[in-house]
Amino acid sequence: MLTVIWVLPLVGAALIAFMPPRLAKFWGVTVAVVTLLISIGMAYVFDPNAHSFQLTETEPWIPQLNIAYRLGVDGISLWLVVLNALLTVVAVLATPLSTRHVNRFIALILGMSAGLAGLFMATDLVLFYVFWEAMLIPAYFLLWIFGEGDRPGRAALKFVLYTLAGSLLMLVGVIGEYVFTGQKSFDLAVLATMPPSPSIQFGLFFVFALAFAIKTPLFPFHSWLPDAYMAAPTSMLVLFAGVMGKAGAYGFLRIAVPLFPNPAYWWDWRWVMPVLAVAAIIWGALMAIAQRDMKLLVAYSSVSHLGFIVLGIFSYNVQGQQGAVLQMVNHGIIVPALFLIVAWISDRAGTRDRSAMAGLATRMPVMAGIFFLVTMAALGLPGLNSFVGEFMTLFGAWQRAPVLAVFGAIGLVLAPVYMLRLFQGVMQGPPAGPEPKSDIYAGQLLLVAPLVVLMFAIGLDPNFLTSLISVVGQPGLAK
Amino acid sequence: MNAALQYTWAQAFADLSQIAAIATLTGFFLFAIVVDLVLPKRRRGGAVAIVAVTGFAYSLGTAVYRWLYGQGGLAYHKFASGDSFALFFEILFACLGILTVALSHSYLKKRGLLEGEFHILIMAAVIGMMVLASATSLVTVFLGLELLSISLYIVCGYVRTDSRSQEAGAKYLLVGGFASAFVLYGMALIYGGAGTTVIPDIATKLGDSASSNPLILLGIVLMGVGFAFKVSAAPFHMWTPDVYQGAPIPVTAFMSVGTKAAAFAMIVRVFAGGLPHLAPEWQILLAFVAATSMVVGNVMAIAQTSLKRLLAYSGIAQAGYILIGVIAGGDAGLAAVNYYLFIYMFMNFGAFAVITLLAGPEGDRDKFSDLEGLGRRNPVLGVLMTVFMLSLAGFPPTVGFFGKLFLFTAGVSAGYTWLVVLAVLMSVVSVFYYIRVLIPIWSPSSRTDEVPSSLTTRLVVTLSGVASILLGIYPTTLLLVGQLAANPNPGP
Repeated sequence: MLTVIWVLPLVGAALIAFMPPRLAKFWGVTVAVVTLLISIGMAYVFDPNAHSFQLTETEPWIPQLNIAYRLGVDGISLWLVVLNALLTVVAVLATPLSTRHVNRFIALILGMSAGLAGLFMATDLVLFYVFWEAMLIPAYFLLWIFGEGDRPGRAALKFVLYTLAGSLLMLVGVIGEYVFTGQKSFDLAVLATMPPSPSIQFGLFFVFALAFAIKTPLFPFHSWLPDAYMAAPTSMLVLFAGVMGKAGAYGFLRIAVPLFPNPAYWWDWRWVMPVLAVAAIIWGALMAIAQRDMKLLVAYSSVSHLGFIVLGIFSYNVQGQQGAVLQMVNHGIIVPALFLIVAWISDRAGTRDRSAMAGLATRMPVMAGIFFLVTMAALGLPGLNSFVGEFMTLFGAWQRAPVLAVFGAIGLVLAPVYMLRLFQGVMQGPPAGPEPKSDIYAGQLLLVAPLVVLMFAIGLDPNFLTSLISVVGQPGLAK
Repeated sequence: MNAALQYTWAQAFADLSQIAAIATLTGFFLFAIVVDLVLPKRRRGGAVAIVAVTGFAYSLGTAVYRWLYGQGGLAYHKFASGDSFALFFEILFACLGILTVALSHSYLKKRGLLEGEFHILIMAAVIGMMVLASATSLVTVFLGLELLSISLYIVCGYVRTDSRSQEAGAKYLLVGGFASAFVLYGMALIYGGAGTTVIPDIATKLGDSASSNPLILLGIVLMGVGFAFKVSAAPFHMWTPDVYQGAPIPVTAFMSVGTKAAAFAMIVRVFAGGLPHLAPEWQILLAFVAATSMVVGNVMAIAQTSLKRLLAYSGIAQAGYILIGVIAGGDAGLAAVNYYLFIYMFMNFGAFAVITLLAGPEGDRDKFSDLEGLGRRNPVLGVLMTVFMLSLAGFPPTVGFFGKLFLFTAGVSAGYTWLVVLAVLMSVVSVFYYIRVLIPIWSPSSRTDEVPSSLTTRLVVTLSGVASILLGIYPTTLLLVGQLAANPNPGP
């Protein structure tokens, strides 16, 4: 079952790449919807009481090095797999048919989605690494060939080299786990039971955390993100920001935390990471305030929100880590919606500069309503999904060290500043700037509707997610 | 009569069967010469090509048969051996021979070059490589090395009308002769210390005390220098870009894979097989060479504008990676080396094969601009070239990743973490230039001219591409074979 979830989009991608462009979208949506249904079925049969990886599949792959094809899901990865499948449907649907080589575009989107699904389901370190790197290939081509802006090739190359610098070092870490734990195994569940000595943990944690910090991105490693997000076409951004942004955070939770419980030698990494996370929260928010380009503003707000997730993960307690998983899903719902809406607004207004337009609400009321809802969700209004997650991560951080929560909460204060300034500036006030061509289309409304419904659903009853999140597959994670 | 000099017919047959793959190929080689002499001029080329392919196929079959039923040990008074190590490389070289003939057939026709002699020389070079792989005496090692090198000197300068090809031939001759002299002098010193040229006996005669004997150490250094020349490892790589660029592309493809594999077989046989007691000494030497190769190869490749030169520098870097496996040694290290050399054949040869297709009658077209619009002009070739580049860069799920994974695992296990970290950092650099090759392929371009087509070349490219992916998704069997062939010390 799990194999189908990543193989199906991949096979679909291979077929669609050679289809005539006019059929591509239909078949792309079909493949994505079927995958989504299977993923939901997987969530349905998931047993909330068994504390291990579930629906596991194990095949020997390279027995010489004890590498096996191991798939499995637990409460953490389950929701990310479903989210990935959902956003794939949205991304394919959001692809304009007028795109050049739309068949290749959709094939690459599906390929990226397959890589992400595999990444979240892999429970073998080498398999994890294979998916981690393999998904870079479609992402690179999407950014480069279909990218926007002057030089998408540069942004794509920057993204790939940045990510690779981290992930190739991670390869040394993967090998180091095999050698230095003395386990001669790549099984994540086994490795978590036998941590190596603290000095080795210190080094291994560094190489893994660096890779994940670049991918997330965490504060000093985020400089690829504005370029890449600016270059990414909107429908790719749905998957790129919505799911791939979580890959790094997922890596922290799946590998860095459980495998290295005590990475302290010259200093203790367990204190470095939350400090960086807080820095990311504040820095991202400040940068978002300073932006005039709406897409860039959302991109920086994403850096800030991802900081909350990492802060929650490194609080080392159940509230923080559950909040982090919840927040991964929340952010995965909110950010694609924001990017889509911003793209639609700028498409109609002809510019992405938020100061060049005002008072659009009277001229596109429905769009304004949706935008308002999403804005409220993004700044963490109680009753909508993001509030619960941010509250839990901050609560977890408070339990670890109050000072982290105090500084982290600055992000909560700054979020309304940039989000409301964006909304008010664009939507409210006396009408000015270019006349928008139309209000939101019905199709576009239908596209964001499920995301908005989920914002309410999770906001009002987060328990249906958190009850399963506590099912973790490895020791070493708080439950 | 002296017992050691008795040589019965039974013994002769037993010895011959140990080197059956080489003997078969040599038979076909002689037959090819006769065919080239007697047939009318216009029929010669095709006929010799067929003889050559048949010869390689028979040789391959023989080697596979011997691998499956009856791997042997030492033969010819311990001067050669038919052990699994030798057979593995014989299989590799036979495959390479088939690929090379298939690749060069249409190329030579397109450029109006004589075909017969070319295939015959390639056969001779392959025989030399096989001799190198099965050699268990310093004398046989040198014999194979020279047979290989002399054939290659000629084919490098095969295009007599092209001054760059001439230059390549001359340069390779001079530098190669130099390297051979180094190797020979080193061998002489080792022989002086051990009193024998037979590699397994050297291992037993040179005890731990040998590491204090300056002559032996000098011998190791001199051989190391010579071997580094042959695998084109820095700082002895200077000839590589010029020769690779000047030589006709099929020759470059053949050399880049074959010479490298043969030279690695030689290094493993002589150093790991013959001088295990001196491992700390030659490991330091090779670690230095590996580190320099990775840095020089990867950094220099960035600035290249010719694909052949780029692949030459990439080959220098790859030699550095492979050396990690040799230094790590043991079952895991040598298995990784064997695996990598085998897959390197597909990914590197495939990349060269794509460039071969682009060549025109006037010469090779190996500028970046010649690849423009390839993804549109011929999507299959575009995708395959992408696979080769990603594989060389080490992206999963292509073979290149698994090759590196095995090499690096062996390296870290053996305690050479610093070397692996360097290799990994340099791999990041390498991604930059491998991706640069992809940019002209997939960028929008107005070029719509057909890519020159040839059935055999296409077959080679497709086969390499499929192997580059399938052996990555399922690396187990090849790694197992590499593991079985990981012992450079043949039994009696």
